[in-house]
Amino acid sequence: MAYKPPIDEQQLVSDLQNPATAHKAFDLLMRTYGEQVYWQIRKMVASHDDANDLLQNCFIKAWKNIHNFRGDARLSTWLYKIAVNESINFLNKERQRLGLTEEDPDSFLLQNLESDPYFDGDDLQMELQKAILQLPEKQRLVFNMRYYDEMKYEEISEILGTSVGALKASYHHAVKKITATIENLG
Amino acid sequence: MKEEEKIIMRYGRKGPWSVPEGYFDSVRLEVLENLPEYPAKPVAGQMTRWQRLKPYVYLAAMFAGIWCMMQMFHQMSGAGKLSLDNPPEQIAALMSEPEMTDVYMIPSTISDVELLDDISSQYSSIDDFEKDFGVEIAPEFENAVGKSDK
Repeated sequence: MAYKPPIDEQQLVSDLQNPATAHKAFDLLMRTYGEQVYWQIRKMVASHDDANDLLQNCFIKAWKNIHNFRGDARLSTWLYKIAVNESINFLNKERQRLGLTEEDPDSFLLQNLESDPYFDGDDLQMELQKAILQLPEKQRLVFNMRYYDEMKYEEISEILGTSVGALKASYHHAVKKITATIENLG
Repeated sequence: MKEEEKIIMRYGRKGPWSVPEGYFDSVRLEVLENLPEYPAKPVAGQMTRWQRLKPYVYLAAMFAGIWCMMQMFHQMSGAGKLSLDNPPEQIAALMSEPEMTDVYMIPSTISDVELLDDISSQYSSIDDFEKDFGVEIAPEFENAVGKSDK
C-alpha cells in the first residue's frame, strides 16, 4: 500500500500508530515539529550540543511511547511535554553533578551560553540572557514560552499542567525580575 | 504590561541562537536511522498481579488505618475499658464501682446548700426526714438543718 501523506493531525496519529506507515509518519512528525521542539529545549539548556542530544532523546521517547498517545491533546503539546520533562531532568542531573541545589542560580548555563559557538547575540542580547538565566527554572520556562514563542497561556497550561492564573502570575514576576536585573546591570 | 514592552523595545523577541547549516535535516535523518524497533501495541486488559491486587490492598490498608485511628482516639480520650467493644457484664462491673458512680452518675449541678434548703423547705423536723429516708444525720450537720428535739 502506497503511503499517502496525512492531511491532518488525526491522520498523522493514526499513521504513527500503524506499523506499516509509522516510519514515514514519524519522518513527517519530525519535519513538522522538530524545529519548534528543538528551540524549546535550546532555550532551557542554552547550549546547542546539549539541545541536540535532548532533541534526539525526545523523539526516540516519543517513538517508543507512540501507542500511549491518546489524542486528548495535540501532538505538538505531547511533544513539548516530553521535551520539557527531558530538559528538566537534564538540568537536575547537571545540578546534581555540580553539587548545586535548586535554589542556586544556574551559573553553569551561563557558562554554556558563553562558550556556545552558536550563540549569535551581541552584548545587549547576552545581557537579557543573563537576566533570564537568573530566574527560577519554572519561571524561565514560562517566560521563554510566552516571550519568544508568544504561546497562549492556555497552551502553556496544557504543556506544564499549571493553571492559567498561576502562569500569568509567574510571567508577571519573571518580567518584573528581568526588568529589575537589567536596571541593576545598567 | 509596561515592563514587557520595555524588554521588547530594548531586546526584541528574536532569540540570539543559531544552529549549524542543514542541522534540522541532518538530525531528522539521524533520528530516523537510529529509531529502535517499532513498539508493540500494549494488549488491553492484560494486568499484572499487582494491578489486580492493588484495590484490595488499598481497601485493607484503609480499614487498618481506620482501626488504628479509633484505637488512638480511644487511648487519648482515656475511656479505659468502657467502650462499645466491651461486653455488657464488663460495663456493668465498671458501673457498680463506687468511684464510677460518684464521678459519672450523680449530677453535680446541685450544691449542698441547695440540697439543705430543699430539705428544710419540705421537712419541718429533721426527724421526719431521717424517718423517710432511713438515715441518721451526723451531729455536726444537725444545726444546719434545724434539728429541734435532739
